[in-house]
Amino acid sequence: MSGHRIAAITRRLLQGFRRDRRTLALLFVAPIVILGLLGYLMRGSNSAPEVGVANQDSGPLGAIVADGLNSSSRIKVTEISAADGEAKLKDGSLVAYIVLPPDFSQQAQAGNVAPEVHLEGSQPGEDAPVIQALQQSMISLSSRVAGRNVTFQPQIKYLYGGANYGTLDYFGAAFVGLVVFFLVFVITIVSFLNERSQGTLERLMASPLRRGEIVVGYMLGFTVLALVQAAEVLVFALAVLRIHNQGNVLLIFGMEALMAIAAVNLGIFLSMFARSEFQAVQFIPLVVVPQVLLSGIIFPVSTEPAGLQWLSGVLPLTYAVNGMRDIMVKGADLTWSSLQLDAGVVAGFCVVLIAAGTTTLRRRLG
Amino acid sequence: MSESYAVNVEDVSKSFGAFKALNGVTLRVRQGEIYGLLGPNGAGKTTIIRLVCGLLEAHAGSVTVLGQRMPNVAVLRHIGYMTQQAALYPALSVEENVRFFAAINGADEGVKDALELVQLYERRGSVVATLSGGMRQRCSLACALVHRPELLLLDEPTVGIDPQLRVQFWEAFRRMAADGTTMIVSSHVMDEADRCQRLGLIQYGRLLAEGSPADIRAQGGSQNLEEAFLALAGRKES
Repeated sequence: MSGHRIAAITRRLLQGFRRDRRTLALLFVAPIVILGLLGYLMRGSNSAPEVGVANQDSGPLGAIVADGLNSSSRIKVTEISAADGEAKLKDGSLVAYIVLPPDFSQQAQAGNVAPEVHLEGSQPGEDAPVIQALQQSMISLSSRVAGRNVTFQPQIKYLYGGANYGTLDYFGAAFVGLVVFFLVFVITIVSFLNERSQGTLERLMASPLRRGEIVVGYMLGFTVLALVQAAEVLVFALAVLRIHNQGNVLLIFGMEALMAIAAVNLGIFLSMFARSEFQAVQFIPLVVVPQVLLSGIIFPVSTEPAGLQWLSGVLPLTYAVNGMRDIMVKGADLTWSSLQLDAGVVAGFCVVLIAAGTTTLRRRLG
Repeated sequence: MSESYAVNVEDVSKSFGAFKALNGVTLRVRQGEIYGLLGPNGAGKTTIIRLVCGLLEAHAGSVTVLGQRMPNVAVLRHIGYMTQQAALYPALSVEENVRFFAAINGADEGVKDALELVQLYERRGSVVATLSGGMRQRCSLACALVHRPELLLLDEPTVGIDPQLRVQFWEAFRRMAADGTTMIVSSHVMDEADRCQRLGLIQYGRLLAEGSPADIRAQGGSQNLEEAFLALAGRKES
C-alpha cells in the first residue's frame, strides 16, 4: 500500500466535490431539512384525538365519568348526542365517541359497567388513548361506588377496520401506492437523464419531434411498465400480505396508475434540473423524503402543526395516500366527494407536470 | 438571392455567457454542395451546425435553411444531423436504432438502404453497446440519413473510422451530393478538406476564408492545404 497513491484518490474525490457545489450543499442541507422536519412533526404533534361523549345516564355516576374524560389530557372531549356520533366519525371530526347508557349508574352499582365505545378505526394509533382515558376515569368511578369492585367491559365497535385491523393494514394501504410512486420516479429521472447524457436528446430536438410528443411518449412508455408493477404490488399486498381491503380492486389499481403517471412526469420535470445521474439521485432525499413525512403516511396530517398542514395540503402525495386509504380501509367509491377530490388533485398534478416538463425541455438543452 | 442557397448564415453572432463562440459569421452553402467546415477544436464549428439545425438561436444575424428562417420545426424533417459523439441508444440493436430515427422523422422505409450504405446490414441485430467505436459511428450516420434528408449535417463524421471506411464514407457522401443532398461536414483533418467542393475556415468564432480547395490554396499561398490554412490564420491574427 502506498500512502501517496491513496492520498491521490482521496484528493481527487474532494476536488470533484469542490466543483459540484450542489452535491456539497445537499450533503449538508438535506440532513438538517429531513431531521428538522421529523423533529417538528413529532414534537409538534401534541393535539389529542377528538372524542365525543354522550352521557345518557339517568343517575349521577355517568356525569362523573364524563368529567373524568373531560379532564383527561390524552383526549379532547366534546359533548354530543349519541345520534350524531356516527356522522361525526364518518366526516372525520371525531376519532371516537363514547356512549354512557341510561342505566349506567345502575350498572355501576351492580358492579359491571359496559359503556359503548365507537371507534373510527382507520388509524390504529388513535384508539389506545381513547381506551386509556376511559379506563382512567373508571378508576375515579370505583372510589365513588362504596365497597364494590366495578368491572369494566367496554363494548367496542369499529366504523372501519375492526379488531383484526392492524398497523400493516393502515400503512399497507398507503405503501401500495408509495412503492410504485417512488420506484417509477427513480427510473424515470435516471433514464431521462441518460437520454441527455448520451446525446440522443440533442438528436431528438433536431428532429421534427415536438417537445410535447417526447414527454407524452415517455409518459406512456413508463406508464406501461408502472402499471405492470402496480398490478404486481397489488396482488402481492392483497393475496400474500393479506392487507385489509374494503374497496374495489380496480379502483385501487386506478389510483395506483394515477400515482405512477404523476411519478413519471415528476421524474421528467426534475431531470431538467440535474446535469448527471449523480445529481438526479440527490433529488430522492430532497423531493421524496419530505413528501413521505408530510403526506400523512406516518403522521396523520390532522396531528401536524398548522404550518406543516398547509404544506401537506399542497403536496400531491398527501391526496394520493388519503385516496388509497379511503378506498382500502373505508371502502370508498367514486361517489365519495373526498375520493373525487383526491383523484382530481393527483390527475391535475399530472397535467401541470406534463406542461412544465414540456416547457423546460428545450431550455435546458443549450 | 438567398433562395438559391440551401443554407444561408448571415452575420451571425452567438455567445455562451462571456464566451463569444461566433462573431459575425457569414457563410452560404449551395444546394447539392459538400461544404467543409474547417478549423481547430473550439473554433465554433459545432456551434454553427447547431444553429443550422435550430438547436441554438443566434444572438445577432439570421440563419436560413431551405428557405425558412431557423429555428423552424417544419424544416427539421428535411435535415439529418450526425452529432460529434455517436448518439445512440446502447441497449437497442443497430436496426432498432435506425428504425427509431426513421420513425421520428416520419420515414419508415429506407432502413435497409441506410444499413447497407454504412455496411452494417449484416450486423443489424447487434446491440449497440457491444459495437466498436467505428461501428457506432457508422450506425450513427445511418440514423442521420435514413429519412433521406435534403440537408445532412455531419459533425466530424470520420473520427475514429479506419482509412478504408473513410474512403467509402466519402464515396457515399459524393453520391448523395450528386443526387441533390446538401452536406455540411465539419472536420479538423485537412486531407478531408480536399474532398469538399467548398470550404469555410473558422477560427476564434470568425470565418477566415471561404472558397474551393484551390481558392484556399491560392489565398494561403501554398500547395499544401494545411500550410495554406496556417498562413491564413497567422495573417488574421497579426
